[in-house]
Amino acid sequence: MAGYILKRLLSAVPVLIGISVIVFLIMAMIPGDPATAILGSFATPENVAALNEDLGLDKPLVQRYFIWLGNMLQGDFGRSFALNRPVLDEVTERFNATLVLAGSAFVLCTVFGIAAGVISAANQYGLADKAITFFVLLGISIPSFFLGMMMILVFAVNLRWFPVSGMWPIFGDRTIWVLLDHLAMPATALAVVATGVVARLSRSAMLEVLRQDFIRTARAKGVHERRVIWGHALRAAMVAIIPVLGLQAGFVLSGAVYIEMVFQWPGVGRMLVDAILRRDLLLVQGGVVFVAACYVMFNIMVDVAQSLLDPRIKT
Amino acid sequence: MTLLSLTRRRMLAATAATALALGGLTAAQAQTPPGVLVVGQIAEPQALDPHAVTAVNDFRILMNVYDGLVRYASGTLEVEPALASDWTISDDGTVYTFTLRDGVSFHDGSPFDAEAVVFNFERMLNEDHPYHDTGPFPLSFFFSAVESVEATGEMEVTFTLNAPYAPFLSNLAYPTGLIVSPAAVMDHGSDFGRNPSGTGPFTFTEWRSNEAVVVEANPDYWDGAPELEAVIFRPITDANTRTAEMLAGGIDVMVEVPPVALGEFQGDGFTVHEQAGPHVWFLILNALEGPFADVRVRQAANYAINKEAIVNDVLEGTAEVAAGPTPPAFAWAYNEELEPYPYDPDRARELLAEAGMENPEITFYVTEGGSGMLDPIAMGTAMQADLEAVGFEVTIETYEWNTFLGEVNPGLEGKADAAQMSWMTNDPDTLPYLALRTAAWPDEGGFNSGYYSNPEVDALLEEARTATDQDRRAELYREMQVIVQEDAPWVFVANWVQNAVTSDRVEGFQLEPSFFLLLDDVVKN
Repeated sequence: MAGYILKRLLSAVPVLIGISVIVFLIMAMIPGDPATAILGSFATPENVAALNEDLGLDKPLVQRYFIWLGNMLQGDFGRSFALNRPVLDEVTERFNATLVLAGSAFVLCTVFGIAAGVISAANQYGLADKAITFFVLLGISIPSFFLGMMMILVFAVNLRWFPVSGMWPIFGDRTIWVLLDHLAMPATALAVVATGVVARLSRSAMLEVLRQDFIRTARAKGVHERRVIWGHALRAAMVAIIPVLGLQAGFVLSGAVYIEMVFQWPGVGRMLVDAILRRDLLLVQGGVVFVAACYVMFNIMVDVAQSLLDPRIKT
Repeated sequence: MTLLSLTRRRMLAATAATALALGGLTAAQAQTPPGVLVVGQIAEPQALDPHAVTAVNDFRILMNVYDGLVRYASGTLEVEPALASDWTISDDGTVYTFTLRDGVSFHDGSPFDAEAVVFNFERMLNEDHPYHDTGPFPLSFFFSAVESVEATGEMEVTFTLNAPYAPFLSNLAYPTGLIVSPAAVMDHGSDFGRNPSGTGPFTFTEWRSNEAVVVEANPDYWDGAPELEAVIFRPITDANTRTAEMLAGGIDVMVEVPPVALGEFQGDGFTVHEQAGPHVWFLILNALEGPFADVRVRQAANYAINKEAIVNDVLEGTAEVAAGPTPPAFAWAYNEELEPYPYDPDRARELLAEAGMENPEITFYVTEGGSGMLDPIAMGTAMQADLEAVGFEVTIETYEWNTFLGEVNPGLEGKADAAQMSWMTNDPDTLPYLALRTAAWPDEGGFNSGYYSNPEVDALLEEARTATDQDRRAELYREMQVIVQEDAPWVFVANWVQNAVTSDRVEGFQLEPSFFLLLDDVVKN
């Protein structure tokens, strides 16, 4: 097992280097440069050249890439010139916020998605199955940012149950309860689509398992139906469900960008959008590499979990 | 079925419990407290170092934390004393001597004196200054005319300019001229922008990244302590969310209300404030080549575009029709006799016929949005329709803002015939001097991207810049506006009316023509 993990970790290195090259090239290729973004209407060629020199952007592209990569390998991600602070401070702070949001959404979509899928499968073509299938289809079809805006309108502006935006209140203590209060709407909005996907796939995975002999045997032995479904069948179906969960984790991480914009969640997605608009090169590059590294790590974890569940997968 | 009903019941119970628990929490989460004003900003500030930033969004905070030597008198764009109590200008207009206000301290306790002022300008302008590396200072060219700045007394500062430069005083009133604490710059170095210290009505307390900048009242403020206890600036980048926060009571003041959202705030609980500012929205026309090289075609475009409809229907009254290159907010320099080009499609067709171009083909650069650009895509398509109605054949090319600037600022030659643009300035000199003179063509480092050239206008602008007598300057600018309107190097479209909404708990709030947000007289109940 240790060898397998090591192999997977090593295979991540070229992926990350590739990502660093791609993001660096994209940022270098898109029109507009940081000096123009900072100077706005005042961007005369003279002013732009002077500011680019101040920002160290007058060096050749290849040299800039290796300076950046070299510094990054030593843990120095550089300084965001739009926010005037070290990139790594900003990225880790913002990534924590995203983890809280995406993590809660992930938990929600896992719990509700699997539960809905299992109930659906256990009552195939029954009322519950039809109702769940209907809501799942509805959930998958609603764009999350639109759902978020509607939730704000109904639950924050009209009913005033939840705060409109932000992660923490402006006043008062930072307790877990006020965090949950702020988290409820964005996490739900983010989880809806993923829940639908998980529910659909769990349903088919469960139906597949429920047709198998060992289930019939269990039922014939008189095992309680609840135990057959939640114990025997679900456990077997998990092998098919876990890779889907891995994909959904990536989905909620990327979907968080929209939700963070709508709910002004101080996460890494919103940070990247702002940084791209401001041509904040180092922040975009550092942020993307950091997020990519986390995503790659997560995928390795999913693969490892899967190989633990099903030893045949280890290659 | 037992399985289902059990689960459903449990799920219902769990949902209800969660909703109750969370609902209970929100009840405890009261409205914003009295005495503390929460302002909804459009973005996270870049830095709170006035010399390092360029965005109006940042200026809204900075103007409450710092003072300049001079400031704009309330409700105008005319300069009055602030940290300088008095000043004299030499007859040739090159030496400015300021007498500084006594007994003023920075928030960090260090004294405000002539040496502090010298430090501020040396840091920005002198590359050998030990703290020049705390920059970059993108707008330092506002003071590029300054040859030297010296402390000629403990409380007296003398600026020597390399040539007479009339906008110098209004540039000092701009945020780039605000005075920072030298002691704080020395303490924090490059991090000064997150640890600001000035002399203003509010003292910086805390900056929680992407959540809030908190400032507290400065009880020792030289111009009288503010009424508020504190102000909290919240960055809410999404306009819909900002509107929702305002409706839900999460913020007390909202700036830059989107035109479509204004209807939400017509009720009793809110007050909508409006103030025209020194802003002008125009189309640059390529006078070097193509159809717009003919002045009649340029005038035809001015007649063809229905500016009233754009201002009232597209912008929902958040702008006024512009008559010429100078916004009316510069009341002292504005030519009241100037009437906007009327909407007259027949006259436009006549002019096109006279020019022998009944169906001129033009390429029109449109941006997706940008500082001061209002609603550029909707405005662009309305203009396209108006121009096509009189015979133009218009091809729109749309660019993201930074890309757009990269295309337009180097000049339209060989690329386009028209481009959208807007400027917000602090002196009637700035825009025409940078964008209408022959010596401001892009290859000379200016912003005259449409290559307009009229020696008469050049001469008027040169003289207005060096005249120290304000009445004489006003006369020259008024004359310039008449000529430029006739020559039509631009289609003059709109002057933005800045807006803000306050809740009914806020009193004494006023928008300034400078577009700054000054909060020292605001009360919140």
